[in-house]
Amino acid sequence: MSKKKINLYFRPEQVNEAITYVLVKEYDLKFNILRADVEEKGGRLLLEVEGRPSQISNGIAYLQSIGVGVKELNEYVEKDLSRCTNCGMCVSICPADAIEMDRQTWEVRFDQSKCIACGLCVSSCPPQAMRLKV
Amino acid sequence: MKRTYEEINAKIQQGDAVVMTAEEAIKLAESKGIEKAAKEVDIVTTGTFGAMCSSGAFINFGHSEPPIRMKRVWLNGVPAYAGIAAVDAYIGATEEREDYGQPYGGAHVIEDLVAGKAVHLRATAAGTDCYPRKDIDTYISLRTVNQAYMYNPRNIYQNYGVATNSSERALFTYMGKLLPHYGNMTYSSAGQLSPLLKDPHLRTIGIGTRIFMGGGIGYVAWEGTQYKTTPRELNGVPVGSARSLALIGDLRGMSPEFVQALSFTGYGISLGIGIGVPIPILDEDIMRTAVLRDDQIFAPVLDYAIQSRGRKPIAEVSYAQLRSGTVELFGKKVQTSSLSSYYKARIIADRLKRMIEEKEFTLTRPVEQLPRERMQRALDVCSEEDVL
Repeated sequence: MSKKKINLYFRPEQVNEAITYVLVKEYDLKFNILRADVEEKGGRLLLEVEGRPSQISNGIAYLQSIGVGVKELNEYVEKDLSRCTNCGMCVSICPADAIEMDRQTWEVRFDQSKCIACGLCVSSCPPQAMRLKV
Repeated sequence: MKRTYEEINAKIQQGDAVVMTAEEAIKLAESKGIEKAAKEVDIVTTGTFGAMCSSGAFINFGHSEPPIRMKRVWLNGVPAYAGIAAVDAYIGATEEREDYGQPYGGAHVIEDLVAGKAVHLRATAAGTDCYPRKDIDTYISLRTVNQAYMYNPRNIYQNYGVATNSSERALFTYMGKLLPHYGNMTYSSAGQLSPLLKDPHLRTIGIGTRIFMGGGIGYVAWEGTQYKTTPRELNGVPVGSARSLALIGDLRGMSPEFVQALSFTGYGISLGIGIGVPIPILDEDIMRTAVLRDDQIFAPVLDYAIQSRGRKPIAEVSYAQLRSGTVELFGKKVQTSSLSSYYKARIIADRLKRMIEEKEFTLTRPVEQLPRERMQRALDVCSEEDVL
């Protein structure tokens, strides 16, 4: 089993497609919706999918075949080390426990693999060291 | 055991002074006891790096040709106060640039100057017989101006209240984002490294005390605004904000590592400054307070959902609890966040220690002591007769 985070982009006419149902039913994928937005320009869905590597790539191929934009993500948030003061304001804000204080060095540790791209650390960072890449 | 400033400075000059950071001194006192630690150590260094809103810088731009008496001044678009002499201005840290997409304020201007960047200056004037010019549009930098020094009316608060939020919605405050239903707790003190907690009655810190300021050298100018001595004490240390200092220091010599603009969403701009103060170990009593630990220093927890100056503490917690990452409040585990950087506080205490060891920094006896007793007054809406 492997895990991937993908960002999906829909045109307005596609927002009624039951794509998540197909991903579960046809490709046996487990998923967690991290973020979903619907706007005039269309929709965006940030999914964490879990399944066999071949099933994940087949699922992605299906999405592309029906015209959904697919972008795989490895990093959502970028930390500017020259601005981070290691204060730790973001630690209690992060809902995914992706940010931790190292109590030996008092440096803030950021674990990209746990990040759900919510952006809360970005708006709460006093020295503006965190930037959303999504 | 008694020690004088003169003895300590003589030892610095000879390269014999024993200097320790507050963290190191705590360990020494734990293993050998206060008495022996006081005998061994001449100076304990402290440090803090946090948001200090009551900060700003005086700048003298030099005279233009023909001369101008500046009435309105903008630095990188941020208004500066020019209601003083012709080409003097004060740029306040929290002043904001208007009509700009991203947060940018006086603190950013100060950071840019310290970083050696060029800053855009625009000024307008009425024009007088002695100052005929009516406007100027130019660039300045620390290289071109005559004087540029911070004068900060209130810095390095002695202790500070911890913020939390009982309400239904997130609050955006100068203590950061406070999540609903006691979702988090934020604090802002370096605790056992924080300067004014290590000499709580300011026996050795007063007007004229030389300090580490923003990477350079600064001095204590005056009591800080809202200086007060009335909060209750625990282990000889006030529980909650008490004394503060007005500080002065040349921007030249400071470093962007210790002078950093901060922005709080929904609140505004502040300036992060690194300050370090040396504590001369004149006797055992001063050593006793210099080695107070995080578990002996307490702060009140305040509910920021109550929008009143009279909010009463809902709990008291130690810095050891705060620094552990979670604090129990009303049976719920609440995650903590610090606004002041303990990481930088450590670097500052260590940097100051090395400056003293390398004879770049000697200690000063205060020219005047700061007030022993001071109440903080409130502002009420009253009549002209009421205030007389």
